[in-house]
Amino acid sequence: MFNGIAGGGAEDLPQLQSTMRAIELACSYIQINTNPAAAEATILSLHQSPQPYKACRFILENSQVASARFQAAAAIKEAAIREWSFLSTEDKGGLISFCLGYVIQHANSSDAYVFSKVSSVAAQLMKRGWLEFTPAEKEVFFYQINQAILGSRGLDVQFIGIHFLESLVSEFSPSTSSAMSLPREFHENCRKSLEQNYLKTFYSWAQDAALSVTNKIVESNSDVPEVKVCNAALRLMHQILNWEFRYSKGGTKGSINVFSDGMRSDTASSRKTECVIVQPGASWCDVLLSSSHVGWLINLYSSLRQKFAFEGYWLDCPVAVSARKLIVQLCSLAGEVFPSNNAQMREQHLLLLLSGVLPWIDPPDVISKEIEEGRSGSEMIDGCRALLSIATVTTAVDFDRLLRSIRPFGTLTLLSLLMGEVVKVLLANSNDKETWSYEARDILLDTWTTLLASMDGSGGNAWLPPEGMHAAASLFSLIAESELKLASASATTDEDDADCLASVSAMDERLGSYALIARAAVDATVPFLTKLFSDRVARLHQGRGTVDPTETLEEVYSLLLIIGHVLADEGEGETALVPDALQTHFVDVVEAGNHPVVLLSSSIVKFAEQCLDANMRSSIFSPRLMEAVIWFLARWSFTYLMLVEDCNLGSNQLQSLPSRACLFTFFNEHNQGKFVLDIIVRISLTSLMSYPGEKDLQELTCHQLLHALVRRRNICFHLLSLDSWRNLANAFANDKSLFLLNGVSQRSLAQTLVLSAYGMRSSDASNQYVKDLMAHMTSSLVDLANNSDLKNLAQQPDIIMLVSCVLERLRGAASATEPRTQRAIYEMGLSVMNPVLRLLEVYKHESAVIYLLLKFVVDWVDGQISYLEAHETAGVVNFCMSLLQIYSSHNIGKISLSLSSTLLNEAKTEKYKDLRALLQLLSHLCSKDMVDFSSDSIETQSTNISQVVFFGLHIITPLITLELLKYPKLCFDYFSLISHMLEVYPETLAQLNSDAFNHVLTTVDFGLHQQDVDIVTMCLRALKALASYHYKETKAGNTGLGSHASGQTDPNGVFHEGILSRFLRKLLQFLLFEDYSTDLVSTAADALFPLILCEPNLYQGLGNELIEKQGW
Amino acid sequence: MSDEEHHFESSDAGASKTYPQQAGNIRKGGHIVIKGRPCKVVEVSTSKTGKHGHAKCHFVAIDIFTAKKLEDIVPSSHNCDVPHVNRIDYQLIDISEDGFVSLLTDSGGTKDDLKLPTDDNLSALMKSGFEEGKDVVVSVMSSMGEEQICAVKEVGGGK
Repeated sequence: MFNGIAGGGAEDLPQLQSTMRAIELACSYIQINTNPAAAEATILSLHQSPQPYKACRFILENSQVASARFQAAAAIKEAAIREWSFLSTEDKGGLISFCLGYVIQHANSSDAYVFSKVSSVAAQLMKRGWLEFTPAEKEVFFYQINQAILGSRGLDVQFIGIHFLESLVSEFSPSTSSAMSLPREFHENCRKSLEQNYLKTFYSWAQDAALSVTNKIVESNSDVPEVKVCNAALRLMHQILNWEFRYSKGGTKGSINVFSDGMRSDTASSRKTECVIVQPGASWCDVLLSSSHVGWLINLYSSLRQKFAFEGYWLDCPVAVSARKLIVQLCSLAGEVFPSNNAQMREQHLLLLLSGVLPWIDPPDVISKEIEEGRSGSEMIDGCRALLSIATVTTAVDFDRLLRSIRPFGTLTLLSLLMGEVVKVLLANSNDKETWSYEARDILLDTWTTLLASMDGSGGNAWLPPEGMHAAASLFSLIAESELKLASASATTDEDDADCLASVSAMDERLGSYALIARAAVDATVPFLTKLFSDRVARLHQGRGTVDPTETLEEVYSLLLIIGHVLADEGEGETALVPDALQTHFVDVVEAGNHPVVLLSSSIVKFAEQCLDANMRSSIFSPRLMEAVIWFLARWSFTYLMLVEDCNLGSNQLQSLPSRACLFTFFNEHNQGKFVLDIIVRISLTSLMSYPGEKDLQELTCHQLLHALVRRRNICFHLLSLDSWRNLANAFANDKSLFLLNGVSQRSLAQTLVLSAYGMRSSDASNQYVKDLMAHMTSSLVDLANNSDLKNLAQQPDIIMLVSCVLERLRGAASATEPRTQRAIYEMGLSVMNPVLRLLEVYKHESAVIYLLLKFVVDWVDGQISYLEAHETAGVVNFCMSLLQIYSSHNIGKISLSLSSTLLNEAKTEKYKDLRALLQLLSHLCSKDMVDFSSDSIETQSTNISQVVFFGLHIITPLITLELLKYPKLCFDYFSLISHMLEVYPETLAQLNSDAFNHVLTTVDFGLHQQDVDIVTMCLRALKALASYHYKETKAGNTGLGSHASGQTDPNGVFHEGILSRFLRKLLQFLLFEDYSTDLVSTAADALFPLILCEPNLYQGLGNELIEKQGW
Repeated sequence: MSDEEHHFESSDAGASKTYPQQAGNIRKGGHIVIKGRPCKVVEVSTSKTGKHGHAKCHFVAIDIFTAKKLEDIVPSSHNCDVPHVNRIDYQLIDISEDGFVSLLTDSGGTKDDLKLPTDDNLSALMKSGFEEGKDVVVSVMSSMGEEQICAVKEVGGGK
């Protein structure tokens, strides 16, 4: 539409005008939303027309419609980026200087968005040509900019100049740059060049500009136009300091690694508030530090503060916000910018900033009162941010010292007072979630975490100064009390609260930070917690039966969570050490009975023990409280109970402390350990037996507490000698009420009890223990299967439930297989083999039971297969094959009623889970060839595992429809099995009949077209294996894949291409014409090579075909 | 060994239609009676009555015959009724014109009181399988006095 506009000459004027009018019209149509599609098409055709520069310039210079000018600028950018390599050097420079000149000339008109567009176009074009322009050429542009910024041409031009630099910097910064369809190296080189040669200059220009207007602003009492320039300059400085400095450290960094994005390594903790450390490098010292830059900034802001009462200024006016942002940012200045020989400079710098920030936050009570009365909280929050920034770049001790030179107390005290104030306010407005106090609390908590986290892991040698400890202690007591108040207030709200684990994980971050604060002053906080706890317990006892205990219960619940965090860390599967602070403090304690940690722990265990009494249970130990008790006992026992000296000790130099020795020995096996262990087991049994239907509690007991206990070998020995453990095992084997636990807990309990058999002195005894434990379950299954009326009986709900329970338990036991108990568990499985097959038949319509049956077999085979002797293996394999066949015969060709889509989906999901289990079964069988502990020599191996697995696959693959493969997990399992089989046993595949063979390869083809890279990789590996196998075999004169590879003619006379040719074609098609992840390239090449070797002629043909097509 | 739950004699010949079971033990995929109807549970969630109260189960279930959705809330330590759902396979021997089917029982008799299922898929499969002379096995689900054909399977044969 706009073709031909490029040609020059005055005779084009009418045409230019008509273009302008067309665009103006289109823009106004879009604004009033009339026929927008046509209008957009018009504008788009301008963007896409070749060399539209002249028309665009004409529109920019002459149009009265702002949006038309905007579109013209956009069109220049789009066309120039597109046609860049065809433009002459003059044209390139011309476009940039046109844009620059345009914004400078029109600096004082309105329509700000057109100017930002034009200046960003200039910035983008400048970046596009950055690496080809000579320094002299760039100099021309920058001279112009510098002149503008110096202010000789008026404030508007000054503003425009700064604004242009802002666009330029953001264009060069990788996270905000716009796409140019160029390699990443280009962007990286631009960024390097700007950082090394220009960034600092820009910063000082911004400084100069801001300085030039400062006096005017300070002196006037109302809003002056200079403010706009000052604000822009502050914003530019902030932006420049936000740059990810990379080339400053030591200067040399051999080559640019374009793929590793320069993530800052200082993001150590998962904090809520972002705090980026500013590390511009040594060369910035003069600009940022020695030029009294900070002093100027602080003064500027404090004079702004005094103007907040005047018109045009207020706490959140843009220039104030920008100034505060820059101040906060300068607080996190670090690295080589501070000369290493001048430690004072750093402290001076921070002190200067801190003293500037102080009026924002100090005195805390006055400020929070003002905010509550309606003042904006943003200045105060920025003050908190500044503290966080300072904390990020200092140690706790340095942090504390900063304030001492100007105040009688340290910074930690201020931090504590400030946070205390925030916590108070927060408590007062606890129902309103979006208040400033929430934000301030999080930032301040992060500040504490930042300061204390580094101390916590330092081996316990770093202590806060005494005053700091005091500050931490008083803050912690405030926090604890406010948490308790919150808890009791929430006791009556009936919001559906999740279980204990969920509420812990929701609060975990916060509790973790609280715990750090508490540990910074354990001398005070541990006794304090003990007192809080005993107070609440006393209150519970006093009011028993008369007062509604709910509020106190909720307080005890919260306290248990807090104390659990203070006393112990989450081990995450590893042994959690006793926190350093608890090991090193309390030095004057010599007797274990007086150790505050021992006292606190004992008082909780004693309290927990009371749940064994039925009356106490009904009046005090609600299910929710029990959850907290169990959670606490699990966490606590993992860190304190029966420590094995060496592994829980941590650093060695502390061993000599007597207080530490008391703490460590008190709960060990020679002292109170066994007694406490007994209590814990009895509490567990109570929570399993006496809280019917409390699923969360029972799962917590089984998974968190009991399971964690038997994971520790030394505890197993003691467990088995306890009467209480014997009671638990007895109840498990014989007591009806434990059959009421839900399935997962049944399984976990069985696993736990079997694992505890490790504590038996010999392998025989361990096996006997397991046998006794499980005999009841196996015999009940056998009895049931042999019952003559099984068919009717089995459908009864009570029998279904019994069978489900027993199967869960068998599965739990099977998954606990260890060398010591392998025999017993093998025999357990062996004795129920026939019943399992019987039940599979009887329950074919009861999918829930079927799934349990399959999962039991899967886990049992997984545990056993590698230990089995040849004849045993044969038995197990036969059993598995019968299982597969029965399952398959029930499910092939079955169509179920689809009255309800929900039920139908359920049925599909059930199918999917079953099949996944079956695939897992086959994979486990496969592992026999990889890991084998049996005593047989290789020769006696009677079962060919590969044949068995292929046979198994043959049985179940018809059930695996392509529809079902859309379940990602099933898909993954299936293809990992297939690729494993093809890689390890290609010869077995070759022996399959053509239906089976084709089915396998159809699915491989399907897999190649999946989105998931892992799946495609597995398919490619399978192909590679297949083709290499065929190639090697045929080279050696064998048939290889035989007719599968050579292709065959079907009875109708149609020739079917061989499988390898087909895949060669597909793979080439895939590689050349489809989108795929670059991660696949090397695997695809690995697969392509043997395919080419197998089918060289076809490859040549395809190659020629391709060349011919390209020739067109 | 002598615990009562391990005896498997079936109860009376006229087996009770429902059995009590603790609500906390009824899982997704299991059965439950809600408002007198046998249902399959598709969703179970637990909550507490008040912070320190006891757990209760919230069931969402689907009537196995009508596919209607039903819901119930029961304290998890209380008992719920669980229906006895029986499924028996029969061989299809005839489909009459009025839509009734004739099924072969285990004992060699016939069962003629069931209609073709309303589900189109299912009845189409039955008809086509039957017309092609294949062996068609149908599963009949019965519970609390109701009966329905719930699944069909071709065992091959024919042609």
